[in-house]
Amino acid sequence: MLKRRDFIAAFSGAVLLALGVTAPASATDLEGGSEAFVKSLAEKAINSLASKDAERAERIQRFREMFTENFAVNSIGKFVLGRYWKKTSDDERKEYLSLFEDLMVVSYVDRFAQYAGESLKVTKTRGENKNTATVFSEIERPGGAKAIRVNWRVGTNGTIYKILDVVVEGTSMSNTLRSDFGSIIRKNGGKVAGLIVELRIKTTALKSE
Amino acid sequence: MVKIGIMQKRMTPVIRLRAVSFLIALLMVAGCASAPAPSDPEAVAEFLQVNDPMEPTNRAVFSVNRTLDSAILKPTATVYRDFAPEFLRTRISNVLNNLRGPVIFANDLLQGEFARGVVTFLRFMINSTIGLAGINDMATALEIEGHDEDFGQTLAVWGFEEGPFLMLPLFGPSNPRDTVGLVVDFLIDPLNLWASNTEREFVPWARTGVAAVDLRSNNLEVLDDLEKSSLDFYAAIRSLYRQRRQDAISNGQGSATFPAPSIGQIQDNPVLEETDELSRR
Repeated sequence: MLKRRDFIAAFSGAVLLALGVTAPASATDLEGGSEAFVKSLAEKAINSLASKDAERAERIQRFREMFTENFAVNSIGKFVLGRYWKKTSDDERKEYLSLFEDLMVVSYVDRFAQYAGESLKVTKTRGENKNTATVFSEIERPGGAKAIRVNWRVGTNGTIYKILDVVVEGTSMSNTLRSDFGSIIRKNGGKVAGLIVELRIKTTALKSE
Repeated sequence: MVKIGIMQKRMTPVIRLRAVSFLIALLMVAGCASAPAPSDPEAVAEFLQVNDPMEPTNRAVFSVNRTLDSAILKPTATVYRDFAPEFLRTRISNVLNNLRGPVIFANDLLQGEFARGVVTFLRFMINSTIGLAGINDMATALEIEGHDEDFGQTLAVWGFEEGPFLMLPLFGPSNPRDTVGLVVDFLIDPLNLWASNTEREFVPWARTGVAAVDLRSNNLEVLDDLEKSSLDFYAAIRSLYRQRRQDAISNGQGSATFPAPSIGQIQDNPVLEETDELSRR
């Protein structure tokens, strides 16, 4: 009995030790890396994308490059479909993901143009699991308006970082999209094909603005 | 005449409560979304998660609200934002915020947030006096930052569930908990009590109207953008309302706890070639 208890204690001690030795080091790497990633992305975005002088087509092109390079577009797209992802054919997935990217690009490109003169301040970073961290930040606005709280959920494989979700003042982009798209799919009898049709119409309308 | 006056005085809040509860009852019976067949557990789970059994009615109310918004509120807010000087608009915002002080203070205390209550109290005292009836937000200048609270949040802190989603006429997205909160905050507000006791019924009306224009003028672009980029504006609003309330209830500490996308293939896929997911399933 005593022996067994000792064994359990020793075992859990060893586990704790192992966690204690490895976890903080990798967690620090993860947090530091995520934070540096968000900071440099914000700097790039504010410097290159917030210029209003460029033509819209050119801004869309630049924004698309930045977006696909730094956002886990397909993972987000898959999350947004939720339970309907399984029920979607490969062809539908391809078209859906490409339309999803389009929708994100054309609906956010004009918003970025308004961010000129703002600066991002990281307040803290928290590791969520071994390859995900949340970077908490405040975007300070010119003219003394109240700063906007923005949390960035960042995923990494250790070398490359990508954004999984943006949470503005407590509202998650991915979760809002999931509700929005889910409602359209339900309206179309649970068929993703119906969503694809509406996405086509929406992105065409937004592109031609 | 005097008698009627007294009657009115005493009855007003009760009548208002009755009107609100009648309205809610009316909406409840008017239209219900059909629940999915119990043989599809995923659909049932989704139905419960969406938690909007009165969706058809809610959508009808939403469309009336949007018509009223585009006919009255939005144009007014746009003119206000574009033509009233920023100096004036900031001060009007300050006065409205300051007037909410007592209600925020009461809710701080009801939630057991005494430190925050002290902050609200100090802000109200400073801004009402040296801030000249709230015109100048001296407290924020002194780095005593304000926050918001309401009775809907207090009920949440006390453990009440939000209940099904509710689209209120004029007031917009809500739920039974926040609707009760709205009514209670109205009834305990000192300015409204004073107005009601002195038969100045126009005071709360005017205040609500100005607050609506102020709020709308601060959200012109946000709502336009959301309407433009969402496929189902109603569903997007419903989701955003719930998330905002969740955030408000936790005083901004609860975010980053909801479900989020994950990078599934990251370990065996060093370059994050996510299109891989297509072939992998």
